[in-house]
Amino acid sequence: MIKESSMLMIKRLMTRYVPGMLTCKEVDSFLFDFHEGQLSFTENLKFKLHISMCQDCKTYLQNYEKTIRLSKEGIKIAEPIEKIPEELLQVILKSRIKK
Amino acid sequence: MLDREKENHLIDKLLINDNKAYDRLVRDYSSKMYAIARRLLRNESDAEECLQKSFIQVFKKIERFRRDSSLDTWLHRITVNYALMMLRAQKKQQTTSLEGFTQHYNEYGERTTFTNNSGNNLESFFEQQETQMSINEFIRSLPEKYCNVILLRDIQELSTKDTAEILAISEAAVKTQLHRGRLLLKALIEQQAE
Repeated sequence: MIKESSMLMIKRLMTRYVPGMLTCKEVDSFLFDFHEGQLSFTENLKFKLHISMCQDCKTYLQNYEKTIRLSKEGIKIAEPIEKIPEELLQVILKSRIKK
Repeated sequence: MLDREKENHLIDKLLINDNKAYDRLVRDYSSKMYAIARRLLRNESDAEECLQKSFIQVFKKIERFRRDSSLDTWLHRITVNYALMMLRAQKKQQTTSLEGFTQHYNEYGERTTFTNNSGNNLESFFEQQETQMSINEFIRSLPEKYCNVILLRDIQELSTKDTAEILAISEAAVKTQLHRGRLLLKALIEQQAE
């Protein structure tokens, strides 16, 4: 098991010496396109390489994706009624006559 | 929904003020329009009001409907627009700002402010029913531009192009605002979880 501090050092060295290795800041700028599936093949690889080495970014990405999922699920709690009450339909139809 | 031929027939009848056609329009499309409104607005009574007001717009504008989109799409847009208008009117002046939630980085481009490292705790927090309920309030507390794109793109699942058209902004602006809105929402949830 590699210690967290060692991982940080490896990541820092790789960011500095491995061409194309992304920083956390760059990962942030790729985050939206990654989620939308719009990164190129190479960008996608670089993104995933960074995520595999950086716990902070991994958690950041997980929470970003959970937020989107939660938005959808939270709204789904308010499921629409299947049938609109007849009284409401009548009010709507009457409003046409008034126009 | 109706096929194109039946839809054209229905529109022809609407244009000559046929009462049965109006009855059919309201009965066939109201459930879907209500569902759209309900997802965008806070409660059932707002959604009902939105449905009513949207139909008033439909009745007024049907003569100008140019049939370059389907009737279904046109009704969808009218409902979304009216719901957004209602949201704007309801929105308090005080909304959550991105300030204070911005990420900071050191000279290596590494994160120096990370609000939540307790992945497991956050995981369980995300699963709580109360969190799911309060997410509605969080979304609506966002600045209008972020709130609108999240509602249209993430909740209504419209395309970037349709969202841009409805909000009268560029597709690039939709993407930027959506990303910022999501980040702000994420930060609000993380703050709540702490």
